[in-house]
Amino acid sequence: MRLLPLVFTLFLATLLGLGVTWVAVSSSRGLDRVQSGAWVGWPRSGTAKADPYARAAVARSGELPLELADGLLFLATTDDAGHPLDGRCETRIAGVMPQARLWTLTLLDADGRVIPNDAERFGLTSAEAVYAADGAVDVRLAARARPGNWIPTGARPRLTLALRLYDAPFSFTSGAGDASTLPRIVREQCQ
Amino acid sequence: MTGLDTAHGRLDTPKGGLARRLRTLLGRLRHRLRRPPPDEGENRRRLSPVHWSVSGISAGVLLSAAFIAVLAAIAHIVSILAMPALAERTAYDRLGELADANMMVMLPDPAPDVQVLPMMDPAFISAVCVFDLGEHPLKVRVPATADYTSVSFYTAAGLPFYALSDQAAGKGIELELMTASQKAALPEDEEITAADRLVIESPSPDGVVAVRAFVRERGMREMIRRQLEAASCAPSR
Repeated sequence: MRLLPLVFTLFLATLLGLGVTWVAVSSSRGLDRVQSGAWVGWPRSGTAKADPYARAAVARSGELPLELADGLLFLATTDDAGHPLDGRCETRIAGVMPQARLWTLTLLDADGRVIPNDAERFGLTSAEAVYAADGAVDVRLAARARPGNWIPTGARPRLTLALRLYDAPFSFTSGAGDASTLPRIVREQCQ
Repeated sequence: MTGLDTAHGRLDTPKGGLARRLRTLLGRLRHRLRRPPPDEGENRRRLSPVHWSVSGISAGVLLSAAFIAVLAAIAHIVSILAMPALAERTAYDRLGELADANMMVMLPDPAPDVQVLPMMDPAFISAVCVFDLGEHPLKVRVPATADYTSVSFYTAAGLPFYALSDQAAGKGIELELMTASQKAALPEDEEITAADRLVIESPSPDGVVAVRAFVRERGMREMIRRQLEAASCAPSR
């Protein structure tokens, strides 16, 4: 191999490797994915046993992830049918929350920040939510006010939902089957 | 060649029409690949001494593709493993700019324009303490607040290694954080009382303690913030 192709090959390889790293670190939070509908959780990334991908993602984002003994985070960027969560649409999150001491549901924009609104309502908690007789919650994400459990979307085109279950007595580390009880996310209508 | 043959051989049985069409397509494709472009022969000779080819792609191209793939994999693995050490905006770095080591500071509530750390739960009030166990162990006091309160410990790279929540509401938590060598150096007679003390071993000499308190109702925010201000961390000696 002559020198120029060698340098070019090295450059290309490094670029490719770092590119894969960038994609991995910005889109994933570790290898131990637990999925339930559109919700994705990474239980092991909240422990000292976190894999290298989880460690890299945490170091890069600069967050303090929830310790598994404290709570468990699930993120959703799409509805159950796979459409991206769109703040210009009305989206329903319905179902019974898993058993936990408390839960919080937070709506974030594409940059991971809470969405400004007059009511300073950035999400919903288990203490504020209105429950049905069977213990189910029915949360609505919409740009305009809705009766009941409403979270304003600010008509942002891309949203992320963060569900945190605190002091949950069950363990998610054994596999995907355990997470099957998270609420459904359904798009109702778009403006 | 054999790979392609078995591939369309398998396709043959289920759907005759589709398989036939695919076969003619593959045959045409193979024909085109086998015929080398006019100047490729010379190139190939220069790149590699072995004159063999797979479907008309020269060994040199294949070899460099494999070379690139292996190097890219190495670059990927090395960068993933090095990231915790090289990242410059970890929570430890961000909070280190905010306060001195070994003191508890309250964080502002997450808001659209205020974000000390990413992915904070807006339903919680947080206090953090950047610790340095270089000289003394750390004593952490977490007061009882009106609702769920937890304390979590992180290494400087943001990896959580221990967390505790108030199992019995209305009771504060008191912990001692120390390195393995400091724990080993605990005097013998203190071992007896150590059962009453919560001693946590830190895998790294520096890191972050985060205390979080849940706000049940919006109106309670100020009260819980005041309660959490009693949280402290200080070197014990």
